[in-house]
Amino acid sequence: MEELGERIKEVMTSNRIDIHLFGYTIPISDAVITMWIIMGVLIILSIVFTRKLQTIPEGKQNVVETIVEFINKLTENSIGHHWKLFAPYIGTVLLFLVFSNTISIFNIIPSGEQLYKLTHIEALKKIPDFNLLPPTKNASVAMGFAVMSMIAVIISGIRVNKVKGWLKSFLKPVPILLPFKILDYFIRPLSLCFRQYGNVLGAVIIMELIYSSLPAFLPGALSIYFDIFDGVLQAYVFVFLTSLYIAEGIE
Amino acid sequence: MGVQAFAISLALLACVTAGIGISFATAKAVEAVARQPEAASKIQTVMLLGAALAEATAIYGFVIALLMVLLK
Repeated sequence: MEELGERIKEVMTSNRIDIHLFGYTIPISDAVITMWIIMGVLIILSIVFTRKLQTIPEGKQNVVETIVEFINKLTENSIGHHWKLFAPYIGTVLLFLVFSNTISIFNIIPSGEQLYKLTHIEALKKIPDFNLLPPTKNASVAMGFAVMSMIAVIISGIRVNKVKGWLKSFLKPVPILLPFKILDYFIRPLSLCFRQYGNVLGAVIIMELIYSSLPAFLPGALSIYFDIFDGVLQAYVFVFLTSLYIAEGIE
Repeated sequence: MGVQAFAISLALLACVTAGIGISFATAKAVEAVARQPEAASKIQTVMLLGAALAEATAIYGFVIALLMVLLK
């Protein structure tokens, strides 16, 4: 029981890795390194998938076109007339969040220590550990995304309605609502952040409990729900709410 | 730990409300799709939005409970 509590505390706190560069020591949290890995994978995938584009799609081009069309339709349905401005931003955030929320499926691969506990074979202990935790289980990463989408809302409001129209929108239905309209800009990112952070952290903790109590068979079935389905759904909800806020901002 | 454990369990009562809210939203959505199958995609997006907003209360309770456990 004590061991389990320690493990869960370890999952919840972010570890720091020191990088020594030109005599300086730069502390970097593990979430940042996981995000670098995801960024690299996404950049390589997008370069590989968009090479040699043709008018008549075939093979891998079909996959990219399906994804792009899905994103375009999502933004067009929620934002309306000005969707072309925001589709790239929405799509980038969606792809990144889907990858970062579902990266914990690699935890299915058992670590060397777990295999050693089960089988007592010394050689298995040297297998490296694929313990990648989703970066969005860190509250600051989720807050970064929420602040980014709030900045997108403000910029889109200024760009479409100009500064005067944007300032006037604070007094739109009745001027008495002004304090609530200003409060909106602080409450919305907070709620976006907590939704993402709480859901991902909850799923990670539940999966950790299952791994430690029953390391075979059951995690495989349950991680389809907790790692893949929940992660993709939360990424979709985040992007959907962002596009709704943008649509409200450019009215 | 006694009083604190009680407080944590009270904070987690928020999860009950989220369960009730999401079940209401889903039940109504199923009813609406059964009545008008051609409007399924629109109903789905509205239902997802409602479920996400209802779920927020459970997440707030969960985060507060986590903070209570961590900051003892």
